[in-house]
Amino acid sequence: MLYIHHIFCVSPQKTLSQPDLETLNDLQENKLKALEPAYEGIPVTVLRRMGKAVRMSVGAASSILKTGIKPDGIILGTANGGMEDCIKFMIQIAQYDEGLLTPGNFVQSTPNGLAAQLALSQHNTGYNITHTHRGLSFENAVIDASMMLREFPSRSYLLGAADEISTYNYNVDFLDGWYKKENISNKDLYGSNSLASIAGEGAVMCLASNEGENAVAKIVAVHTIHGEDEEYVGQELRDFLSRYCITQVPDLFISGENGDNRFQNFYLQAEKHIHEETGILRFKHMSGEYPTASSFAVWLSCYLLQGGKIPSHCIKRNGGSSKPKSILIYNHYKGVQHSLILLSAP
Amino acid sequence: MGIVSAIGNSLEENRAALKAGKCGMSSLEMLQSRYADKMPFGEVKISTEQLKEKLHAYERGLTRTSLLALQAFNECLENSALDKEMLRSKDTALIGASTVGGMCLTDEMYKDANALSDGSEYLSSYDFASVDLYLQKRFGIKGIVNTINTACSSSANAILFGAKLMKHGLARRAIVGGTDSLAKFTINGFNSLQILSPEICRPFDEKRRGLNLGEGAAFLVLEKEEDCKGKTIYAELTGYFNSNDAFHPSSLSDQGEGPYLAMKGALTAANLRADQIGFINVHGTGTENNDLVESIAMKRIFEKVPDFASTKSNVGHTLGAAGAIEAVYSILNLKYQELYPGLNFTSPIPETGLMPVSSYKQKKIDHVLSNSFGFGGNCSSLIFSKA
Repeated sequence: MLYIHHIFCVSPQKTLSQPDLETLNDLQENKLKALEPAYEGIPVTVLRRMGKAVRMSVGAASSILKTGIKPDGIILGTANGGMEDCIKFMIQIAQYDEGLLTPGNFVQSTPNGLAAQLALSQHNTGYNITHTHRGLSFENAVIDASMMLREFPSRSYLLGAADEISTYNYNVDFLDGWYKKENISNKDLYGSNSLASIAGEGAVMCLASNEGENAVAKIVAVHTIHGEDEEYVGQELRDFLSRYCITQVPDLFISGENGDNRFQNFYLQAEKHIHEETGILRFKHMSGEYPTASSFAVWLSCYLLQGGKIPSHCIKRNGGSSKPKSILIYNHYKGVQHSLILLSAP
Repeated sequence: MGIVSAIGNSLEENRAALKAGKCGMSSLEMLQSRYADKMPFGEVKISTEQLKEKLHAYERGLTRTSLLALQAFNECLENSALDKEMLRSKDTALIGASTVGGMCLTDEMYKDANALSDGSEYLSSYDFASVDLYLQKRFGIKGIVNTINTACSSSANAILFGAKLMKHGLARRAIVGGTDSLAKFTINGFNSLQILSPEICRPFDEKRRGLNLGEGAAFLVLEKEEDCKGKTIYAELTGYFNSNDAFHPSSLSDQGEGPYLAMKGALTAANLRADQIGFINVHGTGTENNDLVESIAMKRIFEKVPDFASTKSNVGHTLGAAGAIEAVYSILNLKYQELYPGLNFTSPIPETGLMPVSSYKQKKIDHVLSNSFGFGGNCSSLIFSKA
């Protein structure tokens, strides 16, 4: 489908440069906030105007772009983009009763601002698109990148995803019952046996191309599913496994389990279909739950496929292989939007 | 195809209004805002409650943006040859677009986001994807479903994405389109940028003073040629291209690099010479910046700029719906071999001297170019050809 080169991740954990995944940063007030890098070469005045989603995107992308690589386009997924700016603008509307408002927050609030900012800073006039399909924004971006590479085989694209925890989406999703009411430690996320999950955020950026040489991983297949019916989702999963995972059984299965006991069954059902020698890992205690969290799992997969050590706190079930060559990710968002992403060593 | 806009609730009503040169701009009657009677808007004159009744859509948390989409989607299905089975087939994709989503409920969202209430019924409806997730569930769509937001070019990119899915075998057919409703959020946003015109917009006129916001939705069914035997074919999508102006977050570069690349790329993709384009449905918002830059970009491509006009003078700028609404209008141009007048034009922009089509006329045209440019430099062009 496509090869991944140079993948970088801004997250609540030490993932960006010289990752240290064994040390687990804990959450504060049920929010796992991303650790931001030092933004070299960006004037403070420019930085101040950027919302966190834009900053995280720039932070993750800059490590790729400073190598001098000029991607042929930018393909991003974000459910909400700069939501902090969005609510700031709403506050302006309310406070000044639709009076004279300053446009900065409005311009920054549009979700295509992330890809636009990256295009602007690189003067990249190529293909530029933002997928905003909630829990499948990143997956649709991957599908898009794979189509562009089929059409233009010698090109490369900056592919990624970002979402931020903002006052807005935290409050809205909290009221809607998606975040836990009790304070917990992320170490205890999977044993909590209660409703809802914990909030997270992050950005992952990579360079996608058809070039296998020096790649960190290959995305073999992506499949998206809409539905709330366990049986239907289970059938889709079985179909996917029989199509892609017969000759090479995945060494690892990364599950999007998030401590929400209402939708745990989707994950337990998926585990039942996975080969018994496949190891099972979890990651939401590291990233928190957010619409493009599956991009964190893709970053983690790339890290492991390159020989990175499996963090002990991720392991749900040990697998037969210590050097994974193939990894399957299953994630769902709010029990409606499901995805399967299969990666392999290049 | 299906459409709802300030000039009509159906394809037929829209075509009749375009032919008659009807302008749908008025004061706001459905949405409350301090600007309701201070500037014109392209408002759909059906209340949200009436839409719910008309569409038998009583699910909790439904927003006006989703209801406008449903109105257009229903008509699109009626006019298409898709039966329920095809609609629910795994190779039918749904690709939508919106820039407002549920934020049309600006006041409710403000309260919920600041935890000033126990939560309204709209908690799951504020984002852009809420519209397409609603349509997916209501119609049981099983293929790839996506929502695109590239500001004012969103639904042009939804059409482009749907076409690509089909080209690469990821869908056999795609229902593509976009929707947006008027919202305090966007009215105040564009007002703070000082690009809303206090009078009815005048695209490509020397004395243009900005854009008028509008609302609406449109959906189209894309099918492969081999699947179209015996069906009504409105037009063929022959070219599409997406580019970024990479100049400024909210205005276009002097030479219109993004618009130029989008139009040029679409022509190349369609394998057409510039002189084969019979009509351009321009982006033509009526802002100082857009119309000048779009003119410059057109003059860079076309030795003699073909007939063109902006239907934003009829329906306003419908943001995330604009690309799809204008695709429908471009297809009507082709299907009926007729051009609709651009409204409120008196004198050309001195630097470029281009004049839009000023009266209804019948004309033999084979190819129509439709432009959509957005904030963030997101420029896309589509070419439709006579089937």
